[in-house]
Amino acid sequence: MDIQALRSQIEKIDTLPTIPGVLRKLLVVIENPKASLNEVGGFIANDPVLTSRVLKIVNSPIYGFPGRISSVSQALILLGLNVVKGMLLGVSVFEAMQKTMLGLWEHSLGCAITARIIAQKKGLTEPEEVSVAALLHDIGKVVLGLKFPEEYKKIMAEAEDKGIFILEAEKKHFTISHAEAGAWIAQKWNFPRNLVEVIEYHHKPHLSNGVPVQTAIVHLSDIIIRAKGFGFAGDDFVPAVNSVAWQTLGLSEADLKEVLSELEDSLSGAEDFFLSEA
Amino acid sequence: MKTIAAITKDPLLTNIIDRFFKDSYNVVNFSKIQSSLDYIYGSIPDIMIIDIVMGDSMTVNVLNEIKGDPIFGHLPVLAVVDDDFTVSDWDSLFIDDYVRRSSLEMELPVKVGLCVHRAERIVEVNPLTRLPGNIAINMQIQKRLDAGTVFALAYADLDYFKPYNDRYGFSRGDEVLKMLGRLILNTVKSKQPSGSFIGHIGGDDFIFITDPENMEETAAAIIDNFTKIMLTFYDHEDRIKGCIESVDREGNKRTFPLIGISIGIVHNKFKKFSHYGEMAGAASEMKKYAKISGGHCLKVDKRHLEPEITQKA
Repeated sequence: MDIQALRSQIEKIDTLPTIPGVLRKLLVVIENPKASLNEVGGFIANDPVLTSRVLKIVNSPIYGFPGRISSVSQALILLGLNVVKGMLLGVSVFEAMQKTMLGLWEHSLGCAITARIIAQKKGLTEPEEVSVAALLHDIGKVVLGLKFPEEYKKIMAEAEDKGIFILEAEKKHFTISHAEAGAWIAQKWNFPRNLVEVIEYHHKPHLSNGVPVQTAIVHLSDIIIRAKGFGFAGDDFVPAVNSVAWQTLGLSEADLKEVLSELEDSLSGAEDFFLSEA
Repeated sequence: MKTIAAITKDPLLTNIIDRFFKDSYNVVNFSKIQSSLDYIYGSIPDIMIIDIVMGDSMTVNVLNEIKGDPIFGHLPVLAVVDDDFTVSDWDSLFIDDYVRRSSLEMELPVKVGLCVHRAERIVEVNPLTRLPGNIAINMQIQKRLDAGTVFALAYADLDYFKPYNDRYGFSRGDEVLKMLGRLILNTVKSKQPSGSFIGHIGGDDFIFITDPENMEETAAAIIDNFTKIMLTFYDHEDRIKGCIESVDREGNKRTFPLIGISIGIVHNKFKKFSHYGEMAGAASEMKKYAKISGGHCLKVDKRHLEPEITQKA
């Protein structure tokens, strides 16, 4: 398939499904009349698909400020509880590839938590923006897995057989990777430019011009969370850290130790978010 | 009592209208639209029922002229039409609804009720934010004052909005106003879901109404939410600098602080207001006072509390 046709197929996607465990919890949230904006926001911010839905709505031209909002809490203030609850009512779930997706959801959440810790350590003014970008960095895998389920199964099998990264197998098959696919959909949904850039370059952080620090944080978080074995990004091994990104961040060994120990505490709470019954 | 202006030469229709509505409406009858003009231009009725007979282009022309005037555009017009009535071009017949002659008995009372209600439901809105505009705002304040309800009224506007507009252009400025409208609406509704009201006066001026005990918390939450979200409406370099460069009213290059929001609050717990303008004016005064105190700020009018409380404050 040529790249334009692929892109227009992907851009036709209106909404993405989430995983079944989240749906069960979601119903509890919707049916609780006392749920506050903060509680609903906290729930949404744990799930890449729910987060992408909220950002898509708040950045749509209807509200009049497309491409401006990249944080869930801000989106909720601007949309209001009724709009958000209505949006949640329409959420559907994956029917195929559930196991793979569960691993990806955990990987995404773990990456978001890691990115937030590093962003705070680096003193960034908007740590939530970085954690949202980390939560959504692999949204392209959801997109490709949903649109081309059979091909994606083959890609995963090939990566495993040949001992190559999913990223390489994707490129062989589609000529693009999940990073481009994610950036396309993010652009189509009017996500802020910075967010699109992090998604597009999380495997090539040296190419990020607008937000090099944010991209470097997400790139490093992706690798740290894989190395910790939290969730499953699709690969059996851990890729190398990009040297430009590493220099951009300038973290000392002591910094890294602190990040890892903070991460230990935060992850124990996140571990059962997708698994436990509501 | 609401008024119906009925325009028809047909005594049967006049009779039906009389029979249905004489107890619940004040019905004023005219045989020709021309003779109704003097009445309509002097006191707008709540609804006009007009008999449209095929080939009577004079009536339609006069009707279109009335409805074409912005002041009378909202006057609901219910047309009574022949059974084979069709329209190819709605720009040549300014009516709001119609009833066919053969279904008058069944439909007329329902349609009249719906038309009047619909006209009341459609309040004039600010085209930018779709929030209620000045007429609706004044009505909301006056309604509460007349009913003797105790309530708090807040007047909010932005500080340093003009330099933002100059630096980024009007369309970016409009984005900020649309964001602010959504933000005030949802913050007020989340603090007080019922009995509250939000209106957009125009430009960067907004008002909102809540119960007095909810107001200060609501206003503080608006300032807090706005301060956080506003940052993302600046370009990266300005966000880092924490200020913008633009030109002042004299055309000199200057550095301006980031946009802030000032809110003035008044309530009628101790001071009685009788007219909406008086209360809105007092809230606007408090807002100016908040502005002088340096933005990101709310000021509550406490000048009319009992003396001992004022001293403690």
